[in-house]
Formats: sequence, structure tokens, C-alpha cells
Amino acid sequence: MDVLGAFALLLAFLAAVYAFVAGIAGIVTKRPLLTRSARNAGMAVFFLVLVAVGTLEFLFFTDNFSLAYVAEHSNRALPGFYKFAALWSGQEGSLLWWSFLLSTYVFFVLFLNRKKHPELMPWVGVITAGVQIFFLTLNNFVSNPFHILGSMNAAGVMHVAAVADGRGLNPLLQYYEMVIHPPMLYLGYTGFTIPFAFALAALLGRYPGEKWIHITRRWTMIAWCFQSVGILLGAHWAYAVLGWGGYWAWDPVENASLLPWITGTAFLHSVMMQEKRGMMKVWNVWLVFVTFMLCILGTFLTRSGVISSVHAFAQSSIGNWFLVFLGIILAVCIFAYSKNRDYLRSDNQLDSLVSRESSFLFNNLVLLAACFAVLWGTLFPVISEWFTGNKISVGPPFFNKVNVPIALFLLLLTGVGPLLAWRKTSTDALRRNFALPLAGGILAGIVAAVFGFRDFYSLICLILGVFVTLTIGSEFYRGARVIASRDGTNLLTAVGELTMRNTRRYGGYIIHFGMVLVFIGIAGQPFKQDIQKEMSIGDRINIGPYSILCQNFDQVSNGNYQADRATLEVFEDGKSVMMLYPEHRLYLASQVTETMVAIESAPLRDLYVVFAGKSPETGRPVIHAYLNPLVKFIWFGGIVVVLGTALALMPNKRLALALRAVEQPTWQGQEVARAISPVSTKASRDD
Amino acid sequence: MIRSHPQSNRQLRAGDACSARLLLVPLLFAAFLSFSPSALAQQTARAKELGGKLLCVCGCSQILTACNHVGCPYSHAMLKELDERVARGESDSLILQSFVQEYGPTVLAEPPARGFDWIAWIMPIIAPLIALFVVWQVVRRWRARAIPAVAGGAPGVSPELLSRARNAIDKDLDA
Repeated sequence: MDVLGAFALLLAFLAAVYAFVAGIAGIVTKRPLLTRSARNAGMAVFFLVLVAVGTLEFLFFTDNFSLAYVAEHSNRALPGFYKFAALWSGQEGSLLWWSFLLSTYVFFVLFLNRKKHPELMPWVGVITAGVQIFFLTLNNFVSNPFHILGSMNAAGVMHVAAVADGRGLNPLLQYYEMVIHPPMLYLGYTGFTIPFAFALAALLGRYPGEKWIHITRRWTMIAWCFQSVGILLGAHWAYAVLGWGGYWAWDPVENASLLPWITGTAFLHSVMMQEKRGMMKVWNVWLVFVTFMLCILGTFLTRSGVISSVHAFAQSSIGNWFLVFLGIILAVCIFAYSKNRDYLRSDNQLDSLVSRESSFLFNNLVLLAACFAVLWGTLFPVISEWFTGNKISVGPPFFNKVNVPIALFLLLLTGVGPLLAWRKTSTDALRRNFALPLAGGILAGIVAAVFGFRDFYSLICLILGVFVTLTIGSEFYRGARVIASRDGTNLLTAVGELTMRNTRRYGGYIIHFGMVLVFIGIAGQPFKQDIQKEMSIGDRINIGPYSILCQNFDQVSNGNYQADRATLEVFEDGKSVMMLYPEHRLYLASQVTETMVAIESAPLRDLYVVFAGKSPETGRPVIHAYLNPLVKFIWFGGIVVVLGTALALMPNKRLALALRAVEQPTWQGQEVARAISPVSTKASRDD
Repeated sequence: MIRSHPQSNRQLRAGDACSARLLLVPLLFAAFLSFSPSALAQQTARAKELGGKLLCVCGCSQILTACNHVGCPYSHAMLKELDERVARGESDSLILQSFVQEYGPTVLAEPPARGFDWIAWIMPIIAPLIALFVVWQVVRRWRARAIPAVAGGAPGVSPELLSRARNAIDKDLDA
């Protein structure tokens, strides 16, 4: 089976090379047959990588320990779903998984656009094939997951040797979120290849108009959404597994995932400037380029060992490959830009500084400042060592000091932006739109301060959060009121109607609301409490409104691990409210110990209990309890962001009607089609 | 190795010190004050604050007070030392300096704001300011280009037509 996988992987590489070469030949010679052939080869890569991935999964599930990668990352007692996830737990498998997800995106892009954009798609095919060649080169020749365990005798004959059982999956990865977190994050990273390919293709091919923007907006949103989910799942995994009571430690690998997300966010905003006003074309193209390059840079940081991180893969020379690839991408982008920059001239100018356009400009500037601050802090230990020869650390205090003010300013702009009109906003309109949300925010701040919510940044965050929420609410209310009075419907129905008429705009507002919830959740961090105590049966610890009684310590085990388990009864106001069972596990295959945190999550606070082990001095179990306020807001905010993105990806109701009218040219249909201007129908369809 | 709770260490030290000073009546009141719950809470807060300025040197990249890794060979000893130094009443700078001497400069959670490392702090401020200046220049250029275009007017387009067209576009954009 391993031969089948290796062979499929090699064929995938050859298919990608063919797609690249034939694609270029097709563009140069303008022969459609060659272009079509290149496209089919590009799509074939997906099926070939799928065979390779399927083969490796089969080898994991059949405990085939003759394969080095399976022996290194699995064992017989490992539960089935972790065997499935073990595929991406190491360097080789994760790169294969990357290739698989990339080829999936490429397949769908090529397939869905096979009869569209004949001038643009050949370029897109060539660029995506170029990216695939790089990753398939790594899969085949640098970090191949199909190496077998064996030795060669004096005659040069290879003898396959299998170990009885594998070393098992890293215990930190044995958590159900690890089955979905890496795929989500990788779907984000690989997804940004598509807007990059379209942007570079449009620039290289001098593709006219804003078509590439319309095509790629959806793909960018999909990649952005996956990246958001991946980041939040990673944070939740850190919270639930690492046992330190937090969810974000500004670790270089965490930062690496945040960087393209920030520039992707900036692009999703500035793209509107290009769509609506034909402005910021250079900016948008470079934002897409930078986003993709940050994906590759992040992968370089994670895999090269340049920066130390608990999340990083083992140090290897693979980082040099990424560095070379990064250099090639940069060179191609600079070449394409310098050759065709006249194609990116703006159609319009900025009419006023108090306008939606300027708010987007500031939004982009602040997002880029945040991106730079994170990147700078991440790389500074290396820079400092280069210049001074001394190693230093840049830890959470630095990132918090630098990024919290930037993030709060960004939150402010989230509220201000939607209240400004395109081109120019009058002073009267400003006063009218801002008065209520601002008053509401300040009032909420006063009430919160009275009730003890007095950390400076947290208070500002709360005020801004309420301000943004009210601006979003007022946007929905004003639009819905007009529809309700015109159609005679109730306000709630009108809100639904309004939302479905412009899903992109109102989906965007819902995403903003989700981000407000995430910010509020983070604002609870300064009010965190914790206590650690050696406990015996019958002992209690008190934290916040809770009293935790230790009822029992026992041991549980299965084939995968042995665990010390605490049985804790939690009381609130004297009443027993819950039982918690934190564990301290020893994983048998790897002989690594880990904690399994017990979390009782309420809307306003989490009770988070860790069985930290046994005291070396007394041998008594040590329990560490945390009270984490508002953490649930972060996860709930993430769900709202996903829902908002899903809504923004849906077609507008007006468009759906128009399309139906076009498909069924009845008398009524023609009337509907006439009622909608051709320009807006076309633009919306492209959306 | 498991981290023991700082408070329990301090309570032990409190007991020892108290017995040594019992005979000294004038100091009794001071001793009582220093071991009262409020003083203890202040010490704990200060130790926690200082612990937030230090990284655990086990390689986890977490601040000292947050390192909760099972079997961490450093955090227990480091917290104990921090606790003892705070209890001795050493100044913040002396405590941080002694940790730097013992574990190297990587023990500090943030780069010191002096020498070359000062750049770490200044760049996140300077870079956005430069970007703001560039944006400002671009906007000025845009506006300078826009003004003559509007002043000259498009040939054959009446102001009414222009206004109607703008209104139509606004309506379209707001939809």
C-alpha cells in the first residue's frame, strides 16, 4: 500500500509540472487545447493526492508500523479518530495534508470556472500549479511520509522491518479539537492561495476591470472564515489542554496564524473601495500578495526552528525550502507589479476625509500596524541576536502593551466606519448617527465601573463594544423601519428581509458583532482569579462564589493511558452545583504526562480546575483552580463570526429573484428583471 | 516537579520569623502588621506582578506565573526564589536583575527599553507613523488631482446631469 501512496504522490507532482508547463505553453501559443489539457492535469492532482492521503490513512488504521511515519505517530491502542488525525501530527504528514487541501481548492476553482473567464483562468491554473509543484516537491523529495522502516544488507537488498507497536501520538494532540483544528487552519492557509492566484493572474494578464476582485471575494471570505475558526479552535485547545488557564500566549506559532488573518481582514475591507469606487487597486493587489507570503512565512517559522515554540515541528532544514520559495514569490510579485503597474491606476479620488473611504483607509492602516507589531515582536529575538549576539525574549507583556491599544482603536473604527457615507458625510449626519451609540457606550462604561469593572483597557473595551453594538443595531433598525413602513410588515420580518436583500453588508455587521463579543471576552482577562493548593480528601478551596470540596482521588486507565483522577464537588452559596473530574494522565506509549482540565462553563465565568500532579515534598495531590470571567464570549463570538460569514456568502434575495426571472422568462419574470438595473444585477451576480 | 503554592511557603516563613521576634515587644506590633492578611495579600500581588515580568526558562514561552507544565524543572524553583526575594523586601529592579544574572536575559518577558533592544519598543510606534505619513501624502495627491478635474468639469456634462448621476450611484451603492 505504501508503494501506491508514494506512486500517487509522484504522479501528482508530474501532473502539477505538466499543468504548469502546458499552461504557460497554452497562454503563449494561444492554443485552447493545451490550456484545457493543463486544466485537466491541474484537476487530476487532486485525485492523485487524495489517493496518497487515503493510502496513508489506511496504513494508520491498519497499524502498519513498517512505515516510519505511522510508527512515529500512532500506536495500536490509539482511538480511531486520533489515528485519523495522526496524519497531520508530524512534519511529513502535515505537508501532505497541506498539498491535499490545496489541491482540493484548486480542483474546485478550476472545475467551477471551467467555462468562465477564458483569459484569466489559464493564468490562474499556471500559478496554482506553481504553488502545488513546490509543496509536492517537499512531499516527494524532502519530507516524504511513505518512508519504510528497514535496512539494506551487504548485497544491497532492502529488508522491511516493522516495530511491534508505534510510539503513539503526542498526548497534547489527543484532544477531540485536534481532529478539526489543524484542518481548519490549513484550509485558511491554503485558501489564501486562490485570491493570490487570481490577483497575480489579473496583473500578469492585464485582465480588465474588477472582475478578479468579484471572483476572489468569496474565496477570500471562505479562507478567512476557516482561518478564524482555526485560530479560535487553537485558542480553545490551548485553554482546554495546556492547563495554564489562558488561551493565547503570543507564541510564535500562534502569531504566525494571526498574521495572514490580519492582512486578509484588511483585504476584505479595502476590496470594497475597489468595487465601489475603483480605488486602492495597488494596495489590494499587494495585500493579497502579502497575505499569501505571510502564510508561507508562518509555515517557515513553524517548521524551520528559527524561533522556538512549543507548537513548532521538529527543527529541520526544510525551512530553507520555504525561504527560497518565499524569495521566488516576492520576485514574481515585484516583476508583475513593475511590469503592469499602470493597469492599477485608480478610477476615483478621495472626496473627503470624513467618509467611508477614509475609514477603510484608517482601518487598513491600523490592521497593518497590528500585523507589523505582531511580526516585529515575533522576529525581534532573531533580529536582536543577529545584531548584538545576545538572546532575548519577547513575551506576552510586550505583545499586550503594543497590541491592546491598536486593537481598541480598531474596535472604535468598527463602530465608526458603517456610520460614514461613501464619498462624504455631513456634520449633521455625524451628530445624528453617533449620538445614541456614543451615549450608550459611555453609560455602559459608567455602570460597569460602578459594579467594579475598573481595569482601564477592559473598561474602554466595554465602552467601545457597546458603542459598536449600538451602531450595528441602529443600522439594522433604520433599514428595517423603512421596509416595515413600506410593506406593512412587522420590524422582525423587515430585519430578515433587509438582511437577505444585502447579505454581504448585513453579514458583515454580524461578523463585526461577533468580533465585539470576542473583544468583550478578552476584556475579562484582567479579572481572572486563581488559587493552588495541596489537597486531601475533605479539604476545600474557595474561589469567587465557589467552594470546591475534594471528595476522592482514584485511578482510571485504558490501553492508551493511566490517570490519577480527582473527584471534586463544587458548591455555590452552600448548594452543591456540580461535580468535576480533573485528571493527570500518563500516556503509556510515549511515557509523557499531561493534564486533562475540568471546565464548568457558565455564560459569565468559567470554573477551570487542573489536577497539577502530586507535590514532590508531601506527595499530596495539587489542585489549581481558576475563575476565568467572560471566556465563553470568545467562543460564542467565534460562532457568530462564522454565521455572519455564511450569511455574507449567500446571494442577495434580489439577485436570486433576478436569476430565476432570467432562467424562466415569463411575463412576471421579465418585469422583475426589468425592475433591476443591468449594472447592479451583473455586479451582484459577480459577488 | 509540581509547583507548590507561594502562600504556603510564606506562611511557614511567617511562623519562623514570628517566634524569633516574640521577645522584642516594640517589634511585636510591626511583626503583627507584616504578617497580617492585608500585608500578605500585598506580597502575593507583588510576587504575581513580578512573576508576570519573567518567563519560565523551560522553553514553554509562558510567563513564569502561567507555566503549569507537568514536570517543569524550572518554574517551581523560580517561583520559590521569587517568593523569597519578595519576602525579603528586595526592590523590583534588584529581583529582576538577580534573575537575569542567574538565568540570562531571556528570562525577562519583554525586551529592556535600552540599548539596541529599545528598537523593539520604538518600531511599533514609528512604523505606523511612517505609514500614516505615506497615506496622508497619497490622499493629498489624490485630492490635488481631484480638484482640477472637478474645476474643469467634463465636457458636455451639465451640473444637473452630474448631480443626477451621482444620486443614482449613491442609491446603487447604498442598496
